[in-house]
Amino acid sequence: MFVNPWSLALCLLSGITLFLILVACKTAVKVLRHWDPAADSQRQIELESEIWLSSTLVQYGLAFQIISLLLYVLAADHFSGMLSGAMCATGALLANDYGLPLLIVKIAGMFLYGLWIVLHQLDISSEKYPLVRLKYILLLLIAPLLLADTALLILYLQGLNPDVITSCCAVIFGEGDKGAVQNLLGRMGSQTTLGFYYSWLALLFVAGFLAWRRQEIILYLLYGTAMALFFVLALHTLIAQLSSYIYAMPFHNCPFCMLKREYGYIGFFIYLPLFATAFCGVMPMLIHLCRARGILAPTVARLQKKLVAVSLFALALYAVLSSYPYLLYLFRGGEG
Amino acid sequence: MRIFLEKHLNLLDYALSSLWRRKGKNLSVFFVFTLVIFLLASFLFLTRSLLVSAQITLRQTPEITVQHMVAGRQESIPLSYMGKIEDIFGVHQVSPRVWGYKYNEVTGANITVMGLSRSPLLGEEVLAEGRFGAQGEQGWAVIGQGVLADLDLGSRRSFSFFRPDLTLKPFSVRGIFAPQSNILTYDLVITGIDDGRDLFGLDPQLATDLLVEVVNPLEIATIARKISQVLPDTRVITRPQILKTYQAVFSWRSGFAAICLISALAAFIIMAWDKASGMAPEERREISILKILGWQTPDVLMVRFWESLALALVAFVSGTILAYIHIGYFQAGLFRSVMMGWSVLRPGFDLVPVVSGTDLFLLFSLSILPYLAATIIPAWRSASVATDSALRG
Amino acid sequence: MLIELTDIVKIYNQGEVNEVRALEGVQLSVAQGTMVCLKGASGSGKSTLLSIIGCIYPPTSGRAVIAGTQLARLPDRFLTIHRRQTIGFIFQHFNILPRLSVLENIILPLMPLGFSPARRRAMAEPLLERYGIHHRRNFPAGEISGGELQRVAIARALINDPPIIIADEPTAHLDTHLSREFLATMRELKGEGKTIIIASHDPLVTEDAGLDRRYGVQDGRVTQDVC
Ligand SMILES: Nc1ncnc2c1ncn2[C@@H]1O[C@H](COP(=O)(O)OP(=O)(O)OP(=O)(O)O)[C@@H](O)[C@H]1O
Ligand SMILES: [Mg+2]
Repeated sequence: MFVNPWSLALCLLSGITLFLILVACKTAVKVLRHWDPAADSQRQIELESEIWLSSTLVQYGLAFQIISLLLYVLAADHFSGMLSGAMCATGALLANDYGLPLLIVKIAGMFLYGLWIVLHQLDISSEKYPLVRLKYILLLLIAPLLLADTALLILYLQGLNPDVITSCCAVIFGEGDKGAVQNLLGRMGSQTTLGFYYSWLALLFVAGFLAWRRQEIILYLLYGTAMALFFVLALHTLIAQLSSYIYAMPFHNCPFCMLKREYGYIGFFIYLPLFATAFCGVMPMLIHLCRARGILAPTVARLQKKLVAVSLFALALYAVLSSYPYLLYLFRGGEG
Repeated sequence: MRIFLEKHLNLLDYALSSLWRRKGKNLSVFFVFTLVIFLLASFLFLTRSLLVSAQITLRQTPEITVQHMVAGRQESIPLSYMGKIEDIFGVHQVSPRVWGYKYNEVTGANITVMGLSRSPLLGEEVLAEGRFGAQGEQGWAVIGQGVLADLDLGSRRSFSFFRPDLTLKPFSVRGIFAPQSNILTYDLVITGIDDGRDLFGLDPQLATDLLVEVVNPLEIATIARKISQVLPDTRVITRPQILKTYQAVFSWRSGFAAICLISALAAFIIMAWDKASGMAPEERREISILKILGWQTPDVLMVRFWESLALALVAFVSGTILAYIHIGYFQAGLFRSVMMGWSVLRPGFDLVPVVSGTDLFLLFSLSILPYLAATIIPAWRSASVATDSALRG
Repeated sequence: MLIELTDIVKIYNQGEVNEVRALEGVQLSVAQGTMVCLKGASGSGKSTLLSIIGCIYPPTSGRAVIAGTQLARLPDRFLTIHRRQTIGFIFQHFNILPRLSVLENIILPLMPLGFSPARRRAMAEPLLERYGIHHRRNFPAGEISGGELQRVAIARALINDPPIIIADEPTAHLDTHLSREFLATMRELKGEGKTIIIASHDPLVTEDAGLDRRYGVQDGRVTQDVC
């Protein structure tokens, strides 16, 4: 189903991002081959100025990726209006095998671009540009992901077939439409899992606070790993349990509907802090490697502390906003 | 943080004044961009407004329609089928309906006449004036705007149609549909079921189709399947299915139109790229001076970004407003034929523009983002002018 | 020494057919609070030398220490940061943007620094007063007289309060009267502790009484002190 404004917009964005990143990769190849800080040659001058081109391109890439993620979810919601058997965006994403992988690739892409931009900022904070090779190797690694993104998008759209009532066919109603709502995950509504989730959250706060106070690698490692696991756990809990409190419907567990106006766009206020806390929480652990390059050590240390602080703040925000409908439900005397 | 904000405000400030200084150069880009956005927005708004009209009207249509199929063609359905459907668990009510077409030889219009057994199937809110006929009332009719014009009624409130035996069947108009529902009611005449049978000469034991209401809307599909199992010689159509069909058809149409417009967009992007690449000597000198005075390459890039964004946003707003006027006041004069020339729809209804946030977001992704992307590389070229070129000459 | 150049070599387009050796082993040191003149024929390398002192590009080889920072092979980004803290430029053509107002021209160096508009005005105000262009501050720079233009250029060079002022052939387009006025201003600034470096072959400049040192530039080399 390509002939549709949403599909076109998705393809257009994908194509543009691909183009931008490929241009940036051209710089990456040149830098990796010819970078020589000691030379005063025309080529080195050009390379230094191309650094700004590539970093601008990746920043656009990140922005486009965020927009295309949002566009993708909204498009899925729109497609669900045309696919029999799809009640909301989840249904449309599950309409074929490529919808969900595409979503995951898009999210992963966001984190990678973010990592690249952090590395870039670190790199240009030192006169020696000590990370220049590392960051361009990373950039070359982003390219295949983007190719996968485009390929999955094409496969996904190709696999979507809207049903149209035709006058010749006898019985028409979607086979998939069994009257039930499709969910990404089965509902596992036990108190224990929620208890586990909240204990993990508490642990995370403690680890984060310690990391912020003591700034030791082991604590960053602990916080980063715990955060990575929490991200998955949080998405799971959000979909399988907390979402139904948001919708106030026991069997509606869609992770996307909460982004819509019907639910006051609360999804944005939940996902934004979640992505922010996860990103800022994992970053200190990753950029710790850059401390090995002596000159960067103080900058990295400062950045790590700042990232952990932002991450903790976002985590608190996320915890409050995502639990709020559930707490409301408990206070109103519902059984947990 | 404050420094960061102030800095970007300063750059924005500089970008706006620089844009204003070079308004001559940017004017053509602005006009073409506005035009492209206007065309795209018109299509998106038009699609949305058609869809919303259809949804409003379809909300009034039956949840399930059952038709009798004989030899692959639709025939009248015996009322005895009603009992079998009523027996299915979850069915709330079954009512028969009679409908057919009346061709007006004089004007060439095709009018749909529909006889309903229970009048308030369509809520009174779709009527511009009057009401539906009451139970047991004879000879009433509620007509669409098109019928009103077609039969040239003026202020008269009665008309007649020929029965199959060429005798005249009189109707008196009790209500008129509102223009908002024109998309489905434009050429529609609603009357009582007995009047319908009378007009089309149908046996009292037959109806054109059966309308089924269910208790729980979530079970529409399940009940539809059961009906087709119990009555294998029927075609069962559900309301969600009709809605999805509409949406798919509209969407395909506007997608097709969007493809044409994408080529316009592509042409524009090439033009924008070209404009941004051509750098006047004066501009080179300006950037070189800025860089000597301590501006970094990313600062210049940022100014260029703000310039593009400001231009794009102004074009976006103008294009969108123009499109709104185009749909609302000029009834999509440019595209009417493209969007409405298919059999599901009838011409001649009032378009009410509907603007939704998601459509604006879609429009944003389809227009502003490609434009911004097209200006990156030229902007970088201009920002990487050699710092010392202002020193020489 | 505020400025210390040792064995400075600058080669344009190194390794290409249009390679130019603009500077060949320049030694130069300038103390703080002095006024220095570089004198030489066209193409001798004066502007190149000023560009290196002015942190516009790094030397190809050699040691350049400007206001405590060693410039050798510093990326453009850091040269710029250093430049905007230490150097004020006055050019031959003044390089004023004609379509911006006088005030806007003067505060150009402050724009990327994150000063609020009020702060920028407050910084520009004393300079506008001092150089008698306050009544012209909202005029487009393209519509004011040559003398005023020159004072705008001086005000712009001073807005960051840099320790070093660099002037490349500042009097080439000025009549004698304005040239004298310019030199008087420079002497005044020297008195305030600024270090001033002027490249020129205008005798009015090279014979000025305020100069502490005079250097000759020839074929990319600095010939010692003519003073
Ligand atoms: N960006 C550049 N690229 C290549 N060659 C250059 C560049 N700038 C200057 N040159 C060359 O370097 C040499 C020195 O030039 P420079 O501008 O320093 O001389 P100058 O003494 O300032 O001359 P003038 O009095 O004409 O301004 C000249 O041969 C010039 O052609
Ligand atoms: Mg010169």
